[in-house]
Amino acid sequence: MSTFFANINELNEFDVFKRAGYRIVEGGEILVRVERIHLGYLFRTFVKGVIQDVVLFEFQRPAEIFVNNWQSWGPARVVGKDFPFSFPIELRKKFGYSASIMPEVYFDNLISDYFMGSDKFLIGALSSRIGHPYLLIDPETVKVKLNLFGRHFADWTEVEKFVVLKGEIDWLLPYYADLVAKENGVELKAKNFVGWSSWYQYFLDFDYQKMMADLDKSKCLGYQVFQIDDGWERDIGDWEPNEKFPALTRIASDIRSYGYVPGIWLAPFSVSETSSISKNHSDWLVKDENGNPKVAYQNWNKNIYALDTTNPEAKEWLRTLFLNLKDAGFGYFKIDFLFAGAIQGKRHDNCTPVEAYIQGLKIIREAVGDSFVLGCGAPLWPSIGFVDGMRIGADTAPFWDPNGPDIGYPNAYYALRNVFTRWFMNGVLWWNDPDCLLLRCEDTQLNDSQRQLYAFTSLLLDNILVQSDNLSYKIDHDLWKRIMTIRSYGKRMVNLKGLMDGQYEITSAGVDGVHKLLVKDLKIPTFRIELDEERVKLVKKIEKRSDGRTFNYYEEREKLE
Amino acid sequence: MLERRYNILTGEWVIVSAFTQQRPTNPTAECPLCVGGAEFSEPYDLCSFDNRFPSLRIDAPEVISDDELYAKERAQGKCEVVVYTIEHESAMSLMPVHQIEKLIKMWADRYLELSTLPFVKYVFIFENRGAQVGATLPHPHGQLYAFPFIPKRIEAKLTAQARYFDEHGNCALCDVVKREIRNGERIVYENESFIALVPFYARWPYEVHVYPKRHVSSIVELNNEERHLLSKTLKVVTMKYDLLFQQAFPYMMMLFQAPVNDIRYWHAFHFHIEFNPVKRDKDKIKWMASVETGTWAFINPKIPEEAARELRAVEVLK
Repeated sequence: MSTFFANINELNEFDVFKRAGYRIVEGGEILVRVERIHLGYLFRTFVKGVIQDVVLFEFQRPAEIFVNNWQSWGPARVVGKDFPFSFPIELRKKFGYSASIMPEVYFDNLISDYFMGSDKFLIGALSSRIGHPYLLIDPETVKVKLNLFGRHFADWTEVEKFVVLKGEIDWLLPYYADLVAKENGVELKAKNFVGWSSWYQYFLDFDYQKMMADLDKSKCLGYQVFQIDDGWERDIGDWEPNEKFPALTRIASDIRSYGYVPGIWLAPFSVSETSSISKNHSDWLVKDENGNPKVAYQNWNKNIYALDTTNPEAKEWLRTLFLNLKDAGFGYFKIDFLFAGAIQGKRHDNCTPVEAYIQGLKIIREAVGDSFVLGCGAPLWPSIGFVDGMRIGADTAPFWDPNGPDIGYPNAYYALRNVFTRWFMNGVLWWNDPDCLLLRCEDTQLNDSQRQLYAFTSLLLDNILVQSDNLSYKIDHDLWKRIMTIRSYGKRMVNLKGLMDGQYEITSAGVDGVHKLLVKDLKIPTFRIELDEERVKLVKKIEKRSDGRTFNYYEEREKLE
Repeated sequence: MLERRYNILTGEWVIVSAFTQQRPTNPTAECPLCVGGAEFSEPYDLCSFDNRFPSLRIDAPEVISDDELYAKERAQGKCEVVVYTIEHESAMSLMPVHQIEKLIKMWADRYLELSTLPFVKYVFIFENRGAQVGATLPHPHGQLYAFPFIPKRIEAKLTAQARYFDEHGNCALCDVVKREIRNGERIVYENESFIALVPFYARWPYEVHVYPKRHVSSIVELNNEERHLLSKTLKVVTMKYDLLFQQAFPYMMMLFQAPVNDIRYWHAFHFHIEFNPVKRDKDKIKWMASVETGTWAFINPKIPEEAARELRAVEVLK
């Protein structure tokens, strides 16, 4: 069977169905079936034997392409043929697997994880439950690949499905996201929320007194969640309060006394070299070929190892950790640096890194029940169905630097760029976390325009809204009030045009009307917000009757002048 | 008993609901939707509330079934009564446009709110007007069903429109709107954002469809000016109906919006409203009888272009 498409823009059935059939690959066999679906074709792949990293099919590369990185922080961007892809050598060790599940390929090649688009088509995997689907891109061709990491399949097994879709990229993306959601059985039970986080104000310099001071200042701001971030723990892996905080039950009850869901940050698959787990349970860590703990990445000036989420004792520890946090009173979990759970290496179980990661996530999900789980630094497609919210860009920052490196470093500009380019995942796969809104007017380099654009983009795309400011500072309360007024109307239906040329046009429809945001140049930024003025203002009042029925009353607030 | 059962012969779900048997038929005592009636003790403007006799419930009983031949599932969903106004003697044709505009906003809110329930797959908003179509109360109201599955006719619409999109690369109804505006023969009423017409494929004698000129998949995507223009359109259509035979014209009005918790059809499915009236003349009814019910094939005794001409000729104050 031939696997090369000369022109993916002009696919016909003959071209496509020729790619179906049986193949022998190194170590095993592959069978590909192709089915016609609305807007394109579905490729189903079955494998048997020991399967490594296989090419399913390849096609001629279009000039401008939309490429995506495997995890939360990585870039999702449009690149041209002249895009010089080489990851900075001096940062490779520090980033490690943060940059890619396959750093050995990623650092010297252009790859797009899970999906890739161009102006008139989209190719994407519907899941990543066993293998890692990606596209390897060179100046002339694109190879659609599935890395199964040498896993042994004793019997014929169906692995990740791919779709090839034709149409305008702006409406193919939401269509594709829904196919992915259906394939993974997503049912979004949780609601997106409004909250506060400590990170972008205090970073590691956070303590109980600051927490209480901001809680006191937070009344009437409309938060639903109040979350403490990194800085409360003894070490990465030792998830107990350090000397700056009281017991976890106290932290949670203090937050709850203000009417908020208490939220807590942790990096459950990361283990620092100085932690007690590293010292006492090195058998719980993912190992290299020589049996030594593998460095997943470097941070906090330390080597960080990865928890082996297939090790029975480590699994029990993980389950107990989250059960205890939930028992302590927390109802919102921001779980960070999750990619560590999916690094390549030797584990207790002989499975792919993706399967190991999913085992870990499943334990957390089961332990916390209906509590809100926010994934961060997370492999995107393997997390689908396990998280309620997902960070979909780099960390934001109190500065805007379009000339900084686009490698997942903190930067409000790149963080917001991903909020646009990954918009279609929101409300379908999970609730997008655009990262925090920094609304302070001091201790920041962000100007009014940048602050306003970040806030309105997050609002109109119907994302999670979390503020991260010292509430004693001068805050742009007027902006927050405008945001919260529109948010009070509830769920929105969103569309975005202009992904390929970067002139984004958001259409955001809700009960209050159809608002628009038009970005001419994100770098400066120049943009226009068009709010649809209400002709009729209705106030809704909900009454629960004693027979269990709900009555939704709608009454006019003021007659149109 | 409350459950849904799968018909393996047709691939459709049937809701078995013993509650609906208790529903009153044109109660002769006081109206339950008026103040002082069974449902309201205080004055109100508009209200959408849980039906006392629901066919679908959020807390529907669990159903256990592993029978492949006779599959059944929970009848989980919602049935609401949507009250348009406190005025008992009113109707859409008699209500101020402003009140219809409020109603549209309430519909949008119900659609969005019910779409936050992950098990809801389709929100069907409708009105049965007149005893000839089974309305049990004369007080102006409609209903909505939040279904846990895609009903069969909706599925047919989605499939046909998706197929058209695959074959032509654009929305079928967008093409219909362009053709009808160019042709004009079947148009009953038109404004900047909507056309009301007797469709080329009308199944009922005086069937009227309302199509937005712009592609939107639901009422939520209409901006505030368009919602106002839709209010005017609904008012004009229902006034024309009432004036056609100088009587309260019985109809079924149905809003067809894209499924919820599923955005795969946003690009291909064009929001529209169907009025299915049962009158074929002043004193004659077209019944949904064996052919229509058994085969879903309709025989329309009225030429759509003639019906459009008659309805167009009915003068109303716009």
